[in-house]
Amino acid sequence: MSLKPTAGSNPFLGAKSRIERRETMVRWLLRLCTFFIVAATLGILAHIFIKGAPVVFRSSWPFINTTFLTELPSTLHVIEDVKGHRQEVDVTHVDEVKAALGADFHADTTIAYSGGGILGPIVGTALLVFVSISVALFLGVSCAIYLSEYASKGKRVEMIRLAILNLAGVPSVVFGLFGLGAFVLTAPVLTDLPLERSLLKIPLGFSYLSFQGWDTCVLSGGFTLAFVILPVIITASEQCLQAVPQGFRETSMALGATRWQTIRYSVLPFAMPGILTSSILGIARAAGETAPIMFTAALAFKDKLPWQKDLPPLPADAGLFAQWEQSIGRFLGIFTESVQALPYHIYTIAAKIPQNEYSERAQYGSVFIFLVLVAALAAGSVLLRRHLRAKFRW
Amino acid sequence: MHDAPPPERTPLSTLLLKSQRRTFLGVDKQKAIRSFFALNSSAAIIVLALIMIFLLREGVDFLPTYRRELTTYRKAGLEFCDLISRPLAKHQQLCSRLRRAMSASLNTITQPARLRRDAAYQQMREVEEQTRLQRAVLTNQLALIPAPTPEKLSAARLELREATRAAVNRLPATPFLTPAENKQLKRELSLLSPETAELPVVLSLLSSAYIRVDQEAHQSFKPIVEAVEMFETAPDSLHELLDGLKKQARATKELALAEYAAANHKPVDFSGRAAQMTSQIPEISARIAGYISLAEKASSALPDRAGTAEATELLQEVRELLPIHLGEMKSAAKLLPEWRHDKRVTYFQVVVAFFFGDAWITNSSWQDFFGFVPLLAGSVLIALIAVLIATPLSVLAAIYTNQFAGAREQDFIKPIIEFIQAIPSVVLGFIGISLLGDVIKDVSEWSWLQWVPGFPIQERLNMFNAACLLALMALPTMYSLTEDALNNVPRAYIDASDALGATKLQTVFRVVVPAARSGIAAAVLLGLGRVIGETMVVLLVAGNRIAIPDFSAGPGVIFQPAHTLTGIIAQELGEVSRGSSHWQALFMVGIVLFVISLLVNWCARAFVRRFELSKS
Repeated sequence: MSLKPTAGSNPFLGAKSRIERRETMVRWLLRLCTFFIVAATLGILAHIFIKGAPVVFRSSWPFINTTFLTELPSTLHVIEDVKGHRQEVDVTHVDEVKAALGADFHADTTIAYSGGGILGPIVGTALLVFVSISVALFLGVSCAIYLSEYASKGKRVEMIRLAILNLAGVPSVVFGLFGLGAFVLTAPVLTDLPLERSLLKIPLGFSYLSFQGWDTCVLSGGFTLAFVILPVIITASEQCLQAVPQGFRETSMALGATRWQTIRYSVLPFAMPGILTSSILGIARAAGETAPIMFTAALAFKDKLPWQKDLPPLPADAGLFAQWEQSIGRFLGIFTESVQALPYHIYTIAAKIPQNEYSERAQYGSVFIFLVLVAALAAGSVLLRRHLRAKFRW
Repeated sequence: MHDAPPPERTPLSTLLLKSQRRTFLGVDKQKAIRSFFALNSSAAIIVLALIMIFLLREGVDFLPTYRRELTTYRKAGLEFCDLISRPLAKHQQLCSRLRRAMSASLNTITQPARLRRDAAYQQMREVEEQTRLQRAVLTNQLALIPAPTPEKLSAARLELREATRAAVNRLPATPFLTPAENKQLKRELSLLSPETAELPVVLSLLSSAYIRVDQEAHQSFKPIVEAVEMFETAPDSLHELLDGLKKQARATKELALAEYAAANHKPVDFSGRAAQMTSQIPEISARIAGYISLAEKASSALPDRAGTAEATELLQEVRELLPIHLGEMKSAAKLLPEWRHDKRVTYFQVVVAFFFGDAWITNSSWQDFFGFVPLLAGSVLIALIAVLIATPLSVLAAIYTNQFAGAREQDFIKPIIEFIQAIPSVVLGFIGISLLGDVIKDVSEWSWLQWVPGFPIQERLNMFNAACLLALMALPTMYSLTEDALNNVPRAYIDASDALGATKLQTVFRVVVPAARSGIAAAVLLGLGRVIGETMVVLLVAGNRIAIPDFSAGPGVIFQPAHTLTGIIAQELGEVSRGSSHWQALFMVGIVLFVISLLVNWCARAFVRRFELSKS
């Protein structure tokens, strides 16, 4: 007699029971739900890739549409001649082309914002992200150090954590309102001529400290964005600090180091790579937000880069100091200009101009570039974190 | 010899514990560093407080400003006019129903003739469109001064004729015309030229045939046509009187505004002007009575049956709605003598007017109203639909990945769902405009889906479209929080269930999920918070129509466009001047949003706390 069970002889290996069949069915239902989400996401990404990639890439050298990446947005003119041929012309060449066509000229259609490239928005977004991440990293890492290294459990820490949680839940458009009220209209500036609406004027002798706001500029937008991403940065930094083994701190303290020396030499060096990689996620978030910069920094259209500002020419005999002063002014001027930003640019061309084949090209091109940038940041953060986790294994 | 005093010696304690620290105002370096970090850590608290302060600073003046505006509205007599014109607005709706019934009835007779005429015109337009360029050339040449040479002209004419002939040959024959007519039409169309102004003969014949049939139809549906006409003209005399009153009220309002702008302006005689208006009450009441009797006469003149079943139904609706409308008019007439221009507008009324007002009207030449309900209704409805879509999907997906999926499957699914978080909201909004709107509209036109309420949909951009995208945005949050909640279920629960012989499915749905219940609830709430606060998607996709959704449409209401709390701020704030009532109203909306977000967070925390307790 063989002990090997065979189908039919084994009473436990019968046809699938009702319960088993239900089990399989439910399992498949759950799988279906999950893969529906995955498919929807991949579908959206594929749609943007299929429509956007032809705008950005070329089939011949240099394989990338350089005008789209290196020119400022402009109004596109589509000039049609009597034969029905259409040609796309930028603003500067319209009259030339019209003159060349002469009597054959038939129609000139203008499509706002759809010509040129998107260099302006890319530069603007980079500046905004730079300001916001600097502010947010400074505040966020300090806050995380306090929470993880100094604070003991108590009411104060409880309150801080509650505030961080609530800050993470505040709608982005409310941050926009806050930025408008706080930075655009109220923040303090040094000026010789305070405005009428200034909240408070403090005479300093050589000039005034006037609470009249920074106006819509990179600085206002960057600070607003900084508070939007602050909770993300704090949470990520605290996790990284907590991940440093307790033994490192104890060793350092045992050698007689002060608390600050311990943090400075035994904790931060090991936590910093992690903090920086996690903050890349904050960069992606800051780059993607539109509502906070709508009233604080962004412009729908600007035909200059932030540093191409017309300053009065210096007199020929200007001293070194005057030149130095002007170049400093030019540099600082970058941050006191309002800029175009990629998300706001996409909003403008998606909502404010009529849809046609030309505007569609600009839309999908911008969206594709934007998504690639953001996705690269997010993916980079994830990969780096994985790499770091493998490297620092305690 | 006496004992020398012992040598001065610093006490041992100070020697051992000698402080090397330099202090400034009692604070040494370590303490300074510590308080520096402590200060920075309060950033979150400070920012929250600042948000509240700045929102209040810009928004709190809204109540007095709006109260002043409403007082002017009352004093200047605009409210008096609105007492009548509000209920009278219903007349328009009834009229449009009647007109629809009438045209449906007429259509039963005129349709063939109209179709024939329209088909012929369509063909002509088609030819004209295809020969657009050649026509433009010829027109340009004809307009030139001095006139071009005859050769040039005839060349242009020849080109046009050839193009026209080619276009005519490409035309398909329309099924609405007989073959002979089609042939004739083609012949005449091929002679089409901008130089002759008159219509092709076939077209004018078809037009006059249609006009004849139309007259016949009017004749055969005489009762309904006459009744509709009578109903349409019923309020004319009342309108005339009301227009005069409105003009007067607006003039008073402008005076009042000028008085407010310049403090030393001579005061406006409100009571005299109000008395002028109230003196007309008998006249108004008489005209309202006249309108009511006319409307009743018209409604009794309406025939029982119209041309089509649908039209009969419309007539029936009008018959039912009319008494309600007339009743409202009667009570409005009764309210008139009670109206006082100098009755105080209380703050309570202002608050009610903001939080329960059903109209958000701005930049109006008559009166701006800041009613909150249409925006709140849009926001809440969209958020509810989004959460209804996202909850089952995210919870089931989290259960699947956490409990059933293999390691490799998890590695594939998790990064993709987490990646959704990185997609900027403006990109999703753009997808709603460019892709999802068309997809939903196309699907809604499939014939076998017509049983779905609201199909086929009218608007590409609607609440459902926005809700789908918001659901996608809320998914990653809800998914990862649900997964955390499932992970937090103690291992012992699962082991106990297994030991009792439960199948995997039983363990998951009867032990793990109930144990994680409050965590899942918190996840759903946080997802809701995210959805209500989202701006760009609803601004781009929700359709931006400021009106309370029409719930009489049943579940199909979700395919209507709407506006939202967040969207209105983003859309209108850029265009208003600082300190105006509109500006302050938008900041009030911001305050409400801020409070809502705090409430949602608080609720979610309450759920999580309960969850933590139950675990211990």
